[in-house]
Parts: sequence; structure tokens; C-alpha cells
Amino acid sequence: MKNKMRIGVFVCECGSNIAGSLDCEAVRDYAAGLPDVVCSVVNKYTCAEPGQQEIQKYIKEYDLNRVVVASCSPRMHEPTFRNCVAEAGLNPYLMDMANIREHCSWAHLDNWDGATEKAKDIVKVSVARTRYLRPQEETQLPVIKEVLVVGGGVAGIQASLDLADAGYQVNLVEKEASIGGLMAALDKTYPTMDCSI
Amino acid sequence: MEEVDYLCMRCGNEYRGPFDKLVPVERSCPKCNSNSIRRNKKKKKNPTASA
Amino acid sequence: MMDVGRHSKINLLTYSEIENIGGYIGNFQVTVRKKARYVDEKECNACAECEKVCPVVAADEFQEGFSSRKAIYMPFPQAVPSVYILDDKDCLGHNPIACGKCADVCEKNCIDFDMKDEIINLNVGAVITATGMDVYDPTEMDEYGYTQYENVVTSMEFERLISAGGPTEGHFIRPTDRKTPKRIAFIQCVGSRSNSPIGNPYCSNICCMNTIKDSLLLMDHYPGTEITVFYIDIRAFGKGFEDLFQRSKQAGVKYIRGLPGEIFEDPKTKNLTMLVEDTVANSVTDFEFDLVVLSVGVIPRRDSDLIQRLLTLSRTTDGFFMESHPKLKPVDAPTGGVFLAGCAESPKDVKDSVTQASAAAARAQILLNAGKINVEAITSQVLTDFCTGCQVCVKVCPFHAITGGDAKLKIPVEVVEAACQGCGTCAAECNFDALLMKHFEDEQIMSQIDAITGENAADKVVAFACNWCSYGGADLAGLSRMQYPTSQRVIKTMCSGRVDSKFVLHAFENGAPIVLVSGCHYADCHYIDANRWTVKRVDKLWDKMERLGIRPERLQLEWISAAEGQKWANTMKDLEKMREQVTQEEIEHAMSVLKEDREKAEAKKKKKAEKKTPVKEIPIEASA
Repeated sequence: MKNKMRIGVFVCECGSNIAGSLDCEAVRDYAAGLPDVVCSVVNKYTCAEPGQQEIQKYIKEYDLNRVVVASCSPRMHEPTFRNCVAEAGLNPYLMDMANIREHCSWAHLDNWDGATEKAKDIVKVSVARTRYLRPQEETQLPVIKEVLVVGGGVAGIQASLDLADAGYQVNLVEKEASIGGLMAALDKTYPTMDCSI
Repeated sequence: MEEVDYLCMRCGNEYRGPFDKLVPVERSCPKCNSNSIRRNKKKKKNPTASA
Repeated sequence: MMDVGRHSKINLLTYSEIENIGGYIGNFQVTVRKKARYVDEKECNACAECEKVCPVVAADEFQEGFSSRKAIYMPFPQAVPSVYILDDKDCLGHNPIACGKCADVCEKNCIDFDMKDEIINLNVGAVITATGMDVYDPTEMDEYGYTQYENVVTSMEFERLISAGGPTEGHFIRPTDRKTPKRIAFIQCVGSRSNSPIGNPYCSNICCMNTIKDSLLLMDHYPGTEITVFYIDIRAFGKGFEDLFQRSKQAGVKYIRGLPGEIFEDPKTKNLTMLVEDTVANSVTDFEFDLVVLSVGVIPRRDSDLIQRLLTLSRTTDGFFMESHPKLKPVDAPTGGVFLAGCAESPKDVKDSVTQASAAAARAQILLNAGKINVEAITSQVLTDFCTGCQVCVKVCPFHAITGGDAKLKIPVEVVEAACQGCGTCAAECNFDALLMKHFEDEQIMSQIDAITGENAADKVVAFACNWCSYGGADLAGLSRMQYPTSQRVIKTMCSGRVDSKFVLHAFENGAPIVLVSGCHYADCHYIDANRWTVKRVDKLWDKMERLGIRPERLQLEWISAAEGQKWANTMKDLEKMREQVTQEEIEHAMSVLKEDREKAEAKKKKKAEKKTPVKEIPIEASA
């Protein structure tokens, strides 16, 4: 390898969502001892503005080339942290998330030691993985400026009209011979007590 | 559809279930609902053997 | 409704069904079958001459069967498009041509018995799923005697009976004697909030307010009607709802907390009697009514399976389509570029449907306005030096994104990057490590396995989970605070199809007691059918483990959807029990036989490779 790995670990407390069921400081200290980890930090809310600024600050200060965010599920905040590291000049694919909330603190609410040990392990796995990450370039694809709306009930009608009024071509597909759906069969509708059609 | 022998790798339940080579069907144990289901080929070779 | 028919930007395809949807966010290819309605949509001016001469009488679906229509008919007076339709199942003239009266009288010649279904191909950037709901059918609930007693009707039938456009032109009558009923009962939660196998456990959301509305309509049209509503709870939670509830009570509608156990019909008067325990007053009373309205709940559309498969959507345990996130992304479907609106997502009233539809339209516009979309750099890449051209990957790719390759001529395959969706099945199936799955490379996943099994391997369960379903299921288990043992360590892949046999074997060789491979249910697989290859691989692994004297049970397979948090938690509990039973001896035996097996295979490969020229690998650099 050309340059040395410089990994930064950011452990999120998520208020008490993580810190309430496991020892975030212990996780931070453990991560600090892992090979090539040059800084390890605890944040109250890593996803909040101050938390993100801290990541960016450390990337510059320590010249980090890999980042591990130990917080919630990547299904939740991966885009957030990818953007965050990208703003600091790091390729977004060199950031990895260690899920110590959904997969750890929330699943082991009354097992402080067990959850803490598991969180350390999860961070260790993520740190190991980041060493092998490569920068990636995302491709851009064009979006066809047309929409398909499936179903011509009240929701389908409203969505079609909104999109059509916004200037987009709408294709509204309805199974029955007329649009209207179940709503068309209703006499009056609440709360206004007026006609539905 | 063809029926074959299955063995649940979770609870050990043996059962017969559908098998289609072209349109695979999701296998799940009728007893414990696990999807760890293996074709029970031993049984095929020796149909008299019981569980 | 009229606006939709007139709007220049709306291409309205009624009497049409989606046959197929391919592609991805920003670029979906849609095939629509426009069924033959045997009436020219552009020409028909709804003059109604055809209907007058049609000799066929059929039940009118729109009027809930209370009145009849002809074989050629207008679905309902305000239908959009305002065009007749000929029902080929009822029509005499269609096959064989025996009647044809309608065609004779049609001045514009728009009736065409030979009309064929039309296939229309569309290209769209976004899809809004607004497939709606169906209404619960209470026929199976014997205790209420629906279909057995004519004077027991559903709330949908009530709508037609009270409607000015209904079969009785708004004269509210009961079916048996066509007299206006004086004593009417509404029974709430029919098919909802029920633990019975023929009911649904969820609240249908709209029925309380619908009954309150119905009671006010009745009190308005027929003052003095005695209305009694039997309920479990009245849920009047929306803006202006409580006000309507109070108005209904002030108008004299009686609300009794308690549901009847059974309804009986007086054979002479056809009146209905029931015994109800009032759980507020703590009393049991006998009631007699002229008409009973069953306030029926809402169910997912009975044909939801089709749209679920076409758009690779997921459904929650209640059967409605699952949103991307229950709080933060309530109108996005988990599939990119697909949005949910209305009752397809959950039971809701008109206002909520309109709100969600506008939200879905706005979400879709964000995508369309941008005009382009960033695609995650998770695609497959061929390492041409390693590729033998054997074409195994070509065979397994669900998207036909790998082409070419010739084993005899030693021509490597090629990946069409725009078509590759990144499931990684090719990389898992390749015997020569010639495919590099970006961001889910062998080394990356192997390093995760090494880290997990580096210390106290015997205490851990290595769990592979796919990004879309099982990883989401694990997230949901946490989100729902379901508690399970701490032994599991998750390795995320985009699809279970990515889980290479060597990953599983490597985990066992490193001393893992239990390995789980988990992914989407067959119907949910986000890569069409990539997880079928997972099954084949696991089957082979079980065989191999048995051959080597390793208990195959130590490898587990599970399909866990993003809605099945409970299944994830239960699986983790099961696996922990199984882990406790794996002995240290077993673990060590597996470690040694797998090491031996691997070294043998590697030696063989090396011998082969020595005959060829050495190959290049792509080095990983610390800095980008």
C-alpha cells in the first residue's frame, strides 16, 4: 500500500438511544487501540450539524483516509454521512457505518456488558472492512420525464392531476372501465358531508 | 407439480412438499416455518426408512 | 374526475392492466394491456341508443347488485371516460354473432365486436402505486347472517341505498318489503380489530366516521329514525371528526359499547333481533331492528400479489404495501422511483388519500425535476486476466447484464454497467474470482469474517443479511425494541446471491459455530430471482459439509422481509440455542477438515496456474 491507512472512528450516543444501553466511551477507547485508527471520538448526535462538522474537522486535522461512523443503520443515515465525508474531500465510498443502534443497543436494552462487547466487535469489523474499501465514482443516469400512475381511485386521480399540472406527462392506468374507484360509489363523504365525485 | 422429500435443518421435521425445477417454490417448514429446508435425498434412496 | 379526462397531459388508459414493468428508477419500461371494450372510445358520444335495444339483463356491479344493467352499458352516470362498454361475457352478439342489435342502432358505428386487446408500451421515470383497497366480505361471519338475512346489508350497500343516484333514487328502503326502515342498527368493526381467523387484527380507520356520517344522513333525510350504533371504541380522531360525532349524538343516535353475539331473523316480519351486552351500563338488552348495517372494514386489494411482484414491493403483516420508513419516508416504496398513495399503503379516508397522493406526486417531482439520478457505484467488473470465458456468470445474471465470453477462444465476458444492478450473484458463482463486485469485494467481506472470528469465534453467529429485506428486518427488530441474544454479527451484502460459498466455508474454517444466510422472500427479491442461486449454493454447501463430516445444521438459511422484525428476533433466539449446542470438538474438527480441503484445492489451482502466465491484481491504495 502506497500511503499509510489513517482511520477515524466516530461513536454516536444518539442521545440515550445508544448511550443508554451500552458504554460508548468504552467503545471509543477500544476503537482507539485498533490498528491504524488515528482518532476515536464520541458524539452526542453524530448526524446533527455539530457531529458532522466534527467528522469533517477530524478528516482535515488527521488527514483521514477512512472513516467509520458507529451509529444507526446505514439504511437510515448512509447518504447523510457519505455527503458529509464527501464535503470534506473524502471519497464517500471510503466511509463505513457500524450499526450499533438497531442491531445492538435497541436489541439488548438490559444487557449493558453484552451490548458494549458486541458494539466493540461491530466497530472492529467495520474498521477491518474499511481498510479494503476503494474509492468509487457514481454514474449518472437520465430520468424520463413521464410518470405511470397505477390505479384511478381518489389517490391516483389526485396524484395524476398534481403531476400533470406541474407539466409532466402522466399515464394513468385503471383496471375498471371508469376511473373513480371505491370513492365513486360513496354517496356523501365526511367530514364535509358533500358529494364525493 | 412433483412432490419430493424435505428435511428441516432447524427442527428436524421431515415432510413432502412441491418441487419445480423451472419455477422454484419458496421452501418453508410446515412445523417451525424455517426456510432452512434441504432436499432429503437419503429418503429417496431408501423409501422404507422411517423418521 | 372530469378534469382527468380533459387534461392534455394525462394519458388515461381505462379498462387496462399492467402486464409487465422492467427497468429501474428513472427508466421503467411498462407494458399495458388495454382490454377490448368493443366500443370505440373516441367516437362514442354516450347517446344511449345501444343500451335501449340490448336484450340482455345483468346485475349492476356499481349498484351492488340492487339493480340491473344491460350487456352494453355505462359503468355509472358520471363515468370518466363517458363511454359505453360491452361486457363480452354477457353479450349475445359477440360469439357467435346472434344479436348485433346495438351495432345496428349505433349511428356513429363505434361498436366493433372484433375489437382486440391492445398492448401499449410506456417509458416512465417514476411510478405511483395507487391501487387502492378492497372491502371486507362478511359472508363468512355466520353470526351476523349476512347473505342469509336480506335485511342485513354492508355499509357499501347502504351507500347505494341512500344515494340519489342509487337503485332507489335515494328513497331509502329495506330489501324485503321495500319500506323505509324505522329502527336501524350499525355494527362496527366487522372484519376489523378481530383475532378470529376470518377477520383482520388491524383497525380499518374509516368505518367509525363512515357510520357517523351515515347516521347524520339518515337523521337528515328521515328525522325520527331510531339509530343504534354498536361499537368497541369510537375513533373520531381527525380534524372536525369529534364535532360530527357530537352532532350525531345530539341528533339522537344511540351509541352502545358492545357488539352483538348473534343476529336472529323473525321469519314473519323479517325483523332482526339481537342480544347485546352494554359494557358501559353493565346491562344486557334485547334489541329489535328493521335493518342492520354491517360497518365492514377495509382489506388489501385481492390482486396485490401481481403489483407486488412487478414492482418488487414488500407488504406489512396486514397485507398493505410497505413504505420505505414508517415515519420518515411514508410515501416512498422501498424500490427506488416507486411511490405509494392512498389505501394501497394502509386504510385511509378521502382526505388522507388526497394528502398522501399530493405527497407522492411531490416526491416524484423531485426525481423528475432533477432530470438525472446518481446510481450507486455498486456494479460488477470483470478482471479479464482471471476470466476463462466459461459464461457461468452470463447464465446466473438476473438482468442479462453480462455478455460475450468464450471458453475455447479464451475471450473474457463483458459487463454492461448500465444494466448491472449490483446483486453480486456473478461474483459469488464465478469459480475463478474473475468478477469484482464493487464495494462488496471478496477481500472486504473476508476481512469482516476475519474480524468477527478473530476472537471468541465460538461465541458468535455469523449472519449474512441482504440490504433490502433481512438487514431491514433486523433494523425493524431493533426499532421495535425486540430483545434477542447478543451473539449475532451481521455482514451486509446487497443480495443473498452475493454470499459466496467460500465466505461460509471461511467462517467455519475460522471457528464460527453457526452461519446464517438470510435474504428476501422469493416474491420480494430485489434482483428478480437472484436468491434462487442462494438456495442452490446453500444446498451444495450442506452436501459438502455432510461429506466432510460437518453437521450441515450449522449452516442456516432464512428469508426475512424488512417487515418481519419478529422473525429476525425469533431466528436469533433459535440460532443462539443451536450455537450453545455446537461443541468445541465439532468446531475444531470443521476447522481442520476445511483447512485441508482448501489447501488441497489451492494446490491444484496453483499447479494449473503455473502453466499459464501470472495475472495482475488491482492493488488497494490508502488514499484516493
